[in-house]
Amino acid sequence: MRLSVRFVVMLLCCIFAHYHAANVQAQYLNPKLVEKKITIQNAVILPAKVEITKESAKGSEMMVAESAEISGSVTEAVGQALKGKKVGVVTNSFDPTTMDESRKYKLADIQNRYDALLPKLLDKSKDVKKARFTLGDEVMLLNVDKNADALVFIRGQGRVFTKGKTAFSIINIFSFDFPFALITVGIVDARTGEVLAFTKPFSASKVLKDPKALNKMIEKSLKKLPAAAPGNSSVTPPPK
Amino acid sequence: MIVTSLPVSARGPSIPTSPASTLQEVSDDKFVFGKVDLDLLDEIRLLDDRFEKEGVVYRETALDAYLNRVGTAVVADKKIENVEWKFRALRDPVPNAFALPNGSIYINTGLLALLDDEDQLAAVLAHEVTHVSRRHTYLRNRSIRKKMLAINIINTIGTWTPIGGPAGLAINLIATISPLMLAISILGYSREQEKEADLEGLKVATAAGFAPEGMTNSFKAMQKDIEGEQLNSFYSDHPKLQERINYTSGSIGSDAKKLSDDEAKTAKEKYLAEMEVIDRHNVELAINQGRFRSAVFISEKLVHLHPESSENYFYLAESYRTLGPRDAVFTTQHLSSGAKKKAAKTRAKRTLEEQETDLLATPAGQAAWKSNSAEAERLFLHALQLNRLNANAHRGLGMLYEKLNRKEEAANEYAAYLELAPNAIDTERIRRRFVLLKESLK
Repeated sequence: MRLSVRFVVMLLCCIFAHYHAANVQAQYLNPKLVEKKITIQNAVILPAKVEITKESAKGSEMMVAESAEISGSVTEAVGQALKGKKVGVVTNSFDPTTMDESRKYKLADIQNRYDALLPKLLDKSKDVKKARFTLGDEVMLLNVDKNADALVFIRGQGRVFTKGKTAFSIINIFSFDFPFALITVGIVDARTGEVLAFTKPFSASKVLKDPKALNKMIEKSLKKLPAAAPGNSSVTPPPK
Repeated sequence: MIVTSLPVSARGPSIPTSPASTLQEVSDDKFVFGKVDLDLLDEIRLLDDRFEKEGVVYRETALDAYLNRVGTAVVADKKIENVEWKFRALRDPVPNAFALPNGSIYINTGLLALLDDEDQLAAVLAHEVTHVSRRHTYLRNRSIRKKMLAINIINTIGTWTPIGGPAGLAINLIATISPLMLAISILGYSREQEKEADLEGLKVATAAGFAPEGMTNSFKAMQKDIEGEQLNSFYSDHPKLQERINYTSGSIGSDAKKLSDDEAKTAKEKYLAEMEVIDRHNVELAINQGRFRSAVFISEKLVHLHPESSENYFYLAESYRTLGPRDAVFTTQHLSSGAKKKAAKTRAKRTLEEQETDLLATPAGQAAWKSNSAEAERLFLHALQLNRLNANAHRGLGMLYEKLNRKEEAANEYAAYLELAPNAIDTERIRRRFVLLKESLK
């Protein structure tokens, strides 16, 4: 009987975790930002890379178009959250249709540098508080707006389940296999490349399909970011 | 990402002479596209477009034309359903190549720089072409889907089996072990395909008129473990390189065409000349990704090819400068399995800057730093001797002097750079360094 009670409690916990998992909001700030030695007035958002896959009972499938779409939504959400902090934002200064090859290469190289650093950022996020991570002054090769003092890197991955996979995940409740979205936002000094802030909001709910929930998640994840001084945000919008 | 990858191979005396006959055999595979395959094809096409947009494809007219010429010779202009052949270079210093099932063949700049001649390049492309023509990606995808379904079902049975006693234990054991076995078999199946691509690719490349030993030699080129990263798991979806060398060389007949030493030398020089621009680009990529030893290796090839080129000397100097406290070449001790695993763990945990600091705290690191700095300075100065207007050499020298704390000289070199290249992409970066140096000198 005792075993049955334990089993039922575990089952209920798993079901709760499965369907009502709270968003996990982790935020790490560089001491220079906390001590206000640096304030972010204007930021340039680099093209986001959010990859989502469709999980069915037969494995995972790429969702290239949907990934591009969700990358756009996340960029928008991060932009909104930054604007909420009075930070001037440029989101589309890297339009692939208007960039020449050399600029495309530089962007790809800087994105690669960040991607190489990302596993360490995820593994030891707390070290952002020790000002441990930097991309180096190579970030200046992007030649973004002179007023920009931060670059924003967005990465993410997520899984959406088909009905079949959902059924399997419910039956195999103890496998803890569930749809999720993990977004990471890295804010980097536009001149030195130092990582100023890093957040990694995680959600086991359906944020990928719900823009409002996504916005809320991103906004919460940047809650600790100090607001810019009013009136100093002056990034020139990119040419149309 | 579902792709199949890496280089090439051969069959012995029975190699067919007509390229058309080889690919005819391939195109008659009676492959019928199902919905799953077409869905995958759609995703792959989108992915292919994304590579272009994201700046990961290297676009250079001469290189594109060269790759297309060799690639087209390999495929012999054969039409295959839902395949449009494209041969492109991917901006990645890691030696690798891969094929998308829609016929897009990508070869990394890192592999192009490692190969020695056109026969090796043709072998790599033929390997990848075989993956496409044999529909390996689709077949692998289908196989994985079946196995994943089996894994899910077995897991479910294992979770909910109501039977107790020995029967229940047996079911649980099977449910635990079977998914693992199935997962391993997903990997094993890929190895079979790789071997097929090696042997069939050898046949295809030879039929197209390339020397069959190109396949074996391409593996030998890849065997150079310049970065000390070839752990057992690195080429996990491929048979081991030595095994591939053995079975491909074994399948080349004794009567097969072989290049004389002179012919081989000429072929190598011709290929290196074709690759000079991309090799330089690859040195930059290698440095950007912390593959400093590869940068030195490739730059040395460039200097050897054109010793009169100031630009090539600049790349070699830059490679030594960024090498910092690291040894330019690994010793046998560094290349032991244990040492490589330890180095891999360090790479995963420490940033490049931290690794450099750690090394500088050791006598060996200090010695390497002094020696590499001296070599870099000598090479930068030689580059400037060859062409005193080489702006990049001034910039590199400035960075070297800055690190050596020779601030005055560093500032002078930066000033020279800014004067020679006022509109360069990194002007702002160097100007900032110059200003900070000047301030620190006050």
